[in-house]
Amino acid sequence: MIIIQDLGAIVAASPLTTTAAIPDWVGVAASVVLVALAALIALRQHLGITRELLWASLRAFVQLLAVGAALTILFDRAGLLGALMWVTGMVVIAGVVAAGRAKSLPHSKRTAWMSIGLGTATTLGILLVLGVVQPEPIVVVPVGGMVVSGAMTAASMTMRQIAASAMNERPAIEARLALGQTGSEAFAPFLRGGVRTALVPAIDSTKVVGLIALPGAMTGLILAGVSPVDAIRYQIVVMYMLLAAAALSSILAARLTERSLFDDADRLRRVGPTK
Amino acid sequence: MPLSDAFAFDSVVLERDDRRILDGVSDHIHGGATTAIIGASGSGKSTFLRLLNRLEEPTSGSIAFDGQLLDSYDVHDLRRRVGLVAQRPTMLTPTVLEELRVAAPELSEEAAQALLGRVALEEHALDRDTASMSGGEQQRLALARALTVNPDVLLLDEPTSALDERAAKSVDRVISDLVDGGLTVVLVSHDLDRVAYIAHHVLVMERGRLVERGNPNDVRYLE
Repeated sequence: MIIIQDLGAIVAASPLTTTAAIPDWVGVAASVVLVALAALIALRQHLGITRELLWASLRAFVQLLAVGAALTILFDRAGLLGALMWVTGMVVIAGVVAAGRAKSLPHSKRTAWMSIGLGTATTLGILLVLGVVQPEPIVVVPVGGMVVSGAMTAASMTMRQIAASAMNERPAIEARLALGQTGSEAFAPFLRGGVRTALVPAIDSTKVVGLIALPGAMTGLILAGVSPVDAIRYQIVVMYMLLAAAALSSILAARLTERSLFDDADRLRRVGPTK
Repeated sequence: MPLSDAFAFDSVVLERDDRRILDGVSDHIHGGATTAIIGASGSGKSTFLRLLNRLEEPTSGSIAFDGQLLDSYDVHDLRRRVGLVAQRPTMLTPTVLEELRVAAPELSEEAAQALLGRVALEEHALDRDTASMSGGEQQRLALARALTVNPDVLLLDEPTSALDERAAKSVDRVISDLVDGGLTVVLVSHDLDRVAYIAHHVLVMERGRLVERGNPNDVRYLE
């Protein structure tokens, strides 16, 4: 049942022998032209996002260089503990980003960290314990990154949805509270709606996986020369793991946010608009 | 059975964002009668109403209900005994019957019909779409919804301000009938004339303070 194991072995055993050419630094420089073109169009259209676009591109370049160097050291020397610490670092950063989108909520950082952390730990942990994911940094770090990213998106969207409900649906929530319902009962319809909306992207991308776009892990393996059938096995595991992590993180984020919205006398706290 | 003295409040202060919304309110509200709290917009009357079922909490001072401090009750039991109907009724479900079962899931169709009769709504329209009801009908349905948990007190925030004259009168009649049946009603309004013929007692609020009390013919409130 070992599926995600030695990727080198999968690549070597693959009947496909041609691997995609990796672009050199001249090729990377050429891709900058694309960003420059987008920035130029944004500037001429007065969209007000040119600076942000250029800053995001520069930031991504520097980040990826640094991460590339760090991963080289990590894969060579750090072992499983180092890899798990790396994933923990990703959870910390993801929590800050997700909470930043719902700053008006009480304890938003704590909620984001707990929900992303638990969603990631549960899914990645189970697959590690079962031996489906090989306990090697070269597997744990990229797979963990995908899981954290999916969990962050789900938690962030959930928190934004719930904050919007707490602000816009205040009369309905208070009408229910005034009938003697608990905060949890009064908020239940909006909690369900928030989780459903937040999980739509994850569910939809699972529905159309392979039909509309080839997913990242599978694409990477195919580019590395692995046969599509082998790549699909890998992708199925990743896809289920992403879906589970997103669902767990969203549900947990919703529950924790809901608790923070009401005080000890089940009064709805005032929540401002989200970013 | 009507409460003899529904609420007693002493030196109630409420501050929010460094602003004093209620400034030392002390008085009482009789049980089994309609008390109107009158005041201009921003005088603190709606906030005061929300204190009575703990949707707001005073910064200082005390409020007692039926002889006991409000915070000595389980808050959910208190809210079932002290119902609140907002100025603009919010419909929570698609149909009349579902609306009446929000807080009373076991409510029978017969009991639901009896409640609709109490608030002068069509008794056999349990499947009616709540979104298609007029403002006056929705307000009366919100009253019926509040009655499903058998409250001792109903708090009504400007119950007729968004309604036309005919709809407002029908709501007034319902309120009078409920009080005749033993309920205590506390309602908030900015219009003394509007509530004069259904209120037994009037409290006048001005800039967060209670400045006068009396019967509707005695108070000198100028809108």
